[in-house]
Amino acid sequence: MLEIKNLHAKVDGREILNGLDLTLPAGEVHAIMGPNGSGKSTLSYVLAGNEDYEVTEGSITWNGEDLLDMEPDERAAAGVFLAFQYPMEIPGVATMTFLRSAVNAVRKARGEEEFSTPDFLRTVKEKAKQLQIDIEMLRRPLNVGFSGGEKKRNEILQMSLLEPGLCILDETDSGLDIDALRIVSDGVNALRSPERSMLVITHYQRLLNYIVPDRVHVLSQGRVARSGGPELALELEKSGYAEYGQDEASAA
Amino acid sequence: MDLPVQQFRTEAEQELLDLFERSVDALPGDASIAAMRKAAIRTYAGLGLPHRRVEAWKYTDLRGALDNVPPLLAELDVQVGESELEAAIGKACLGLPAYRVVVAAGEFRGDLSDIGALRDDGVEVVSLAQMLESPADWLTASLEDAAGCGDDVVIALNTALMTAGVALRLPEGLTLQKPIQLIHLDMIGASGSIFTRNVVVAEKGASATLIESFGTLGAKELQRNAVTTVSLAEKSAIHHVKLQREAIETIHLNVWAANVGTEARYNAFQLSAGAALSRNQVYVRFDGEDGATDISGATLARGRQHCDTTLVVEHNVPSCESRELFKLVLDDEARGVFQGKIVVKQDAQKTDGKQMSQALLLSETAEFDSKPELEIYADDVVCGHGATSGQIDEDLLFYLRARGLPEDQARALLIQAFVGEAFEALDDEAIGDALTIVAAEWLGTPLE
Repeated sequence: MLEIKNLHAKVDGREILNGLDLTLPAGEVHAIMGPNGSGKSTLSYVLAGNEDYEVTEGSITWNGEDLLDMEPDERAAAGVFLAFQYPMEIPGVATMTFLRSAVNAVRKARGEEEFSTPDFLRTVKEKAKQLQIDIEMLRRPLNVGFSGGEKKRNEILQMSLLEPGLCILDETDSGLDIDALRIVSDGVNALRSPERSMLVITHYQRLLNYIVPDRVHVLSQGRVARSGGPELALELEKSGYAEYGQDEASAA
Repeated sequence: MDLPVQQFRTEAEQELLDLFERSVDALPGDASIAAMRKAAIRTYAGLGLPHRRVEAWKYTDLRGALDNVPPLLAELDVQVGESELEAAIGKACLGLPAYRVVVAAGEFRGDLSDIGALRDDGVEVVSLAQMLESPADWLTASLEDAAGCGDDVVIALNTALMTAGVALRLPEGLTLQKPIQLIHLDMIGASGSIFTRNVVVAEKGASATLIESFGTLGAKELQRNAVTTVSLAEKSAIHHVKLQREAIETIHLNVWAANVGTEARYNAFQLSAGAALSRNQVYVRFDGEDGATDISGATLARGRQHCDTTLVVEHNVPSCESRELFKLVLDDEARGVFQGKIVVKQDAQKTDGKQMSQALLLSETAEFDSKPELEIYADDVVCGHGATSGQIDEDLLFYLRARGLPEDQARALLIQAFVGEAFEALDDEAIGDALTIVAAEWLGTPLE
């Protein structure tokens, strides 16, 4: 279970999160919606441990542990996974090498045995197939020359390999056409389980047709302004974010 | 001897002259070689050791770095077994399938070299010392050509004092299936000077790979001067690879000079990780049209290491292509130098020359000096150069850490990725893999 209490966070001296409270029970999928600038991406970076974001007040506990006390890699080992809105390109690192390094680092930190090469290859091939990822793509440098859809599918592949307990999807739908959206959503839905919690951050309701959330929270000015069931997303689709302080047109 | 008068000589400068005087009678070679040596020491005496006010040595003060000059090292009975070789150049490189040639402690070691196998496969190969006694025309031509680099002090000293090495000639049309690995070693506990010369001649259409590995058996204050000249006839190809992991107190001076004939290709790759001070000079001269060269490499330096790579490519004829890519990883107070000169003569139309040097600085006190020089006298050419220096990208680091990689491992992976791009220049995958392992060991993250 993820518990966020009175979270305040700054980036470049500017306060973005301003007393955010959120509880995400095990096995549930919650959507975070809100206008641009409301703090959605900041929340994802703070959860993953990006040092550019300074937490000034409040607490985050994950399964009873103080998340703010952990390094980013320790959080990954503890089961936190952030699917990046803009996955990084790293020329010179083959995707496969990166995947194996990451999986084995996490397994080692969790006290599990590292994958042997054949076991690893078998696992990757199986999971890549579900996401319609060509194995040739994994021999290329990480995300270099990948299309937007390929990058996002690669993120979900990493998510399934690292077997996290908390999945944070930061605008995973951005830049995806309808076919790619379906493939990515199927991949995410396949990972839903009673032990796994998910935080799906999105600007648009569209993604939530595919990944149906248990709860929807609307962020405004760095805190949760409203919470409800999946129907709240549909309501926002009609009315827009005007009543939450900023609308799309004024977004940065 | 009547030497040109230099107004002032440092102790080391004088000791080099004394070293020559003391050794000259014992140095190998017939009368023609002796005359060549004398001319070379006169050249040196006129120039002295290079220092900061010599433009080509702007960032590497050799005169300041040499306090004195140890005696010539020439020990035949140095114990060299497989374990010594493995410790010296690393398991990965030693394990490469190759013809092995060993030059240890200033002596050619026929007993450790695959001379018979090389000859069986058609290569003319002779110990340099032996050949200097009655030099073949191709050897003399090569030596005279190198002596023509009038103001190069490293070559001049090498010509004057060379004691060992190999002369290799690949006859017309010969394609050597395995690389030749030439292993240069020092001697445990020794303080000494080593001057080696290798001569490679590739006749028309011949091709081969030559790996020169410099490793240490544990020398103290070694001064090494190693020169290799490569002559490439029409349509020949030489891939020349260097691994340098000398002892940390060593002064390493190295010149590769290649003359590239019509439609010939000379590729050079250098990985430098050892020595206190190293100066790596690569000279490539195009003598025939449609020649090509790729000179790439990586420098890994930490502590107070100083590593200088200086390239000069002369486009004398039309339609030749040159590519240069060097990557430097500099930590602590290490200093990396890259000087790349591309000269395009008036007749060398349709020249295509590109140069890039990139440094990754891992500490605030590391330093990178880059000096590209383009001298272009032709008007229809494509030439470009670039130099960058930077630090590890924090966003990339966060991405890797968010995937579970501990900070050290994430950093090492990013450094490896940075260096790895240079390794792509190596056509031979096995050699690329072996050198990648050397780089990974340097980073402290041995690959699986």
